[in-house]
Amino acid sequence: MATTAVTSAGIASEAPRSDFGRVLAQRERRFAAALLAPAFLALLATTTFPLLFLVYTSAFRMDLAMPFTNGFVGFDNYQVLLSDERFWTSLLVSLVYTGSTVALQGIIGLALALLVMDMKRGQGWFRVIAILPVVLSPAVVGMIWRTFMLAPEFGIVDFLAINAGLGSKNWLGDPTLAMVSVIAIHTWQWTPFAFMVLLASLASLPEDIYEAARLDRASAWQRFRRITLPLLRPAIVMVIIMRTMVALTAFAAIFTVTAGGPGTATEILNLYAYRKSFTELSIGYGSALAVALLIVTIIISGILFAMRRAK
Amino acid sequence: MPSFTLTRRTLLKTGTAAAAFAALGPAFLRQAAAQDADLAPYKSAQIDWQQVSGETITVAVIPASYFENLITLAPQFKALTGIDVRFEKIPPAQIRQKSVIDLTSKTGTYATHAADPMYYALYAANKWAEPLDTYLADKSLTDPAWFKLDDIIPAWRSANGIDGKLYGMPYDGEVTIQVYRKDLYDAKGLKPADTLEAYMSNAAALNTPNDRVWGAALRGVAGAGQNMYIYPSIFREFGGDWMKGGKLTVNGPEAEAALAWYVDIMKKYAPTAAANWNWPDIADAFSQGTVASYIDAHSSASVINNPEKSKVIGKVAYARWPKGPSGKRTTSIWNWGFPINSALPEKKRKATWLFIQWAASAETQARTAHKFAGPTKRSGVNRTSVWKDPDYIKLMNGFGENFVEATMGALQEDTDVDWRPRVPQWPAIGDTMATAIQSALSGQATIKAALDDAQRRIEPMMRG
Repeated sequence: MATTAVTSAGIASEAPRSDFGRVLAQRERRFAAALLAPAFLALLATTTFPLLFLVYTSAFRMDLAMPFTNGFVGFDNYQVLLSDERFWTSLLVSLVYTGSTVALQGIIGLALALLVMDMKRGQGWFRVIAILPVVLSPAVVGMIWRTFMLAPEFGIVDFLAINAGLGSKNWLGDPTLAMVSVIAIHTWQWTPFAFMVLLASLASLPEDIYEAARLDRASAWQRFRRITLPLLRPAIVMVIIMRTMVALTAFAAIFTVTAGGPGTATEILNLYAYRKSFTELSIGYGSALAVALLIVTIIISGILFAMRRAK
Repeated sequence: MPSFTLTRRTLLKTGTAAAAFAALGPAFLRQAAAQDADLAPYKSAQIDWQQVSGETITVAVIPASYFENLITLAPQFKALTGIDVRFEKIPPAQIRQKSVIDLTSKTGTYATHAADPMYYALYAANKWAEPLDTYLADKSLTDPAWFKLDDIIPAWRSANGIDGKLYGMPYDGEVTIQVYRKDLYDAKGLKPADTLEAYMSNAAALNTPNDRVWGAALRGVAGAGQNMYIYPSIFREFGGDWMKGGKLTVNGPEAEAALAWYVDIMKKYAPTAAANWNWPDIADAFSQGTVASYIDAHSSASVINNPEKSKVIGKVAYARWPKGPSGKRTTSIWNWGFPINSALPEKKRKATWLFIQWAASAETQARTAHKFAGPTKRSGVNRTSVWKDPDYIKLMNGFGENFVEATMGALQEDTDVDWRPRVPQWPAIGDTMATAIQSALSGQATIKAALDDAQRRIEPMMRG
């Protein structure tokens, strides 16, 4: 405090400067706050407010088809949700979709990264080509797969399947195959992301440890298990967390490829919430579904973050 | 074949017109708009077209040739009324959502939009759209002798009405008819089907997947306007009643028989991919010669007669929907109509009505159809009188044998206002039914289980 500073004779000479410094720091902080304020307000308006509004809406019955029934219902929407079979099915579909796409991305991404690390030439080219699917819009990816790749009798995948002796398959019209197809599409598009992150981490691993391991006659598998994997762990966990959060809230590609069909075979929770809100015009119940998805995402990423800290 | 030469000649002629049109460009149009003689047919109406001059309205339409033609004529409307119209093109999949969001928020962004007839019950329940009878009855706004409301196809008018009040003025519409390959049918001595049973056996006779020809195709992709565009006709033809005893019913023996017929024909005689096809996919496959017959909107005729893509021009013929076991034929009552947004201030509502009256008038319908200078002509005009105009009939006959007879027959005799349940809850019901139909088609559920489940889900929607 300024008052205590002047009472002590010993530091009196220093007081003005430190006071000045404090004022300067305060001004700096104010200036920083002023600079940050617009961005902060914009963030509040575009993320926090809609989120709170979503939670608020979920406590109402808001049915555009039956406006006379609208009103506050408290937790009713959530009660209905708990006994809604389609909610549980879509949650299960979401978990299967997320689990399998994240696992596949991690495994294939790591395998590719290890492979490319050993390449003597053309690594740069490979990186450029590999990253291409990521930059495409998921909706475009969906359209390409739907029309060129997966159409029975007319698509490339079906052509390959026929030539491989598997026969023509109804890729998007069969419940199981449709699920396999959307998982394959998501994996195809997003594996390069895992690949790039893991490749970057691999490149930064210290060469001398491997040198020592080789001198100790450790096999390639032993080196991978005992050295590479533990050192890559932070990167792998990051990839899993980021990919899980995105896969749980995936939308565009599934929407364009199957729209959740056939029937409800590929209807992830996000898609169900969208259909309830915007196709069926039940905004209140749709909001409750979206909040449920938010809670599931928070829980799962919480668990993953906790796992990251453990050990 | 005479129809072939006619088609080619018509197409050549329109092609030349298109080239001339492109060369002269919009400047030509603006000049044309300014000519007073052009506006004479409108000025014979006993109303003051200039009464809200200076207003600006926004109209949302879908990117389709029948609306493009109207947009081209907009300068004439501006010259006639002094009202500026801004058009916004929104794909059909999004226009319903965008307009509902606009109507809910009461911002009045779209003065009018191309509206789905199934949505008027919702609009009326929420008081989002104006009942048009007020405007039709107002002598300062409408000249009934000039506008001739009765001339507008009755089925489409009743589809756009709720409790006897009109909420949307039909602009362009369609009916569902049978489209078939005459050459393939002739080769096997087959006739277009008169019953659903015969349609199935025709499909069986023509189904030769090894030669890449499938017997039939119907819309398979799930959606209220997709597989739920075709299924309601079959349901009604099997004697189904959406409002059995005043209660919305989607299951029961008639529904099961109808869905079984649909699943049967799709599984046995349609390309496997058709389970995910909407009408453009079907029309493309047909125009490539891989489908022997399909039942869909008559307006798809323009796709299968596109000289740049189609391999079947001159081989196409048409017939009405086959009869169902109930002895009925049931076509769709689909049309794009224009409602008036209730959130608008009075002057803008008047301007919107003048626009709607202009767009739906016999004169504009003719100018956007056979009298249109551009390459594409409309096949869904809203007026009985235009459908009887020899020039229009000549143009339409270019699409293939029996086109006008089949379409007119369907329009006049096969229409059924209760084709689909007309309730405000339709968006939810249509989507639920669409999902159920696809689950049955993909084998995810049995026919009975799919329908019973849909019924279970629909009941709470109706209870409110």
